[in-house]
Amino acid sequence: MKSHPYLRAYLGGIFVPTLVLPVILTVFIVTRIVIQVPTPIERILIFPMAIVPSLFGLWNAIWLGSHDRWHQPIGLHGAVLPLVMAPIGALVGTSLGVLQIGSHGVVWFQACSIPYAWIVPGFGAAMAAYYLVWKYVVGSLNRVLGIA
Amino acid sequence: MNADEQDRLKKLLQAALPPTAGEPEPGRGPGRDLWPAVLRKLDSKPATPWYDWALLAGLLGLAGLFPAAIPVFLYYL
Repeated sequence: MKSHPYLRAYLGGIFVPTLVLPVILTVFIVTRIVIQVPTPIERILIFPMAIVPSLFGLWNAIWLGSHDRWHQPIGLHGAVLPLVMAPIGALVGTSLGVLQIGSHGVVWFQACSIPYAWIVPGFGAAMAAYYLVWKYVVGSLNRVLGIA
Repeated sequence: MNADEQDRLKKLLQAALPPTAGEPEPGRGPGRDLWPAVLRKLDSKPATPWYDWALLAGLLGLAGLFPAAIPVFLYYL
């Protein structure tokens, strides 16, 4: 299996978001219908459904293309992805009304209020989570697909 | 070069270059079966380092302390 390595890298990258998307859908539907929190599901799902999988796939293809030159571990490569995704997600969220920027913090989904002081630690936690996901899930998939 | 000449050249080269230490003599295999060692090497998985476990524990602790952040994290996954 030596052909189309970048296609395999893309498919390996989109695996995790594709797997998580039904979970997200379930969480937001339960939040809206069962717990009766008026979350705008249709607008919330645009970013995780249309953009996140593509970014994961492209990021894995970039790792494959640059690995021979830089030899960067895939976990660290994945940990950098929030630096790219966070501004895009915030931009999409703001333009769709999913994210409101206030004077003391941001409000996600018209329900989750996050003070500005929490954003930097939260960002570190996101990088740690991405590090683990990329090292153990995407890295394993890459080995299965014969590109790692 | 015919087959006899090739055979003669091969013998001359083997005579001129003695086997290195630990190398089996020409025509003989290794002294033991190496295949089980290959299988063990293929089956062995690197152990998960302690800091990865610490990161996982920290993330689970944060999720427990700040459950409101879970949907935001899911939004980015």
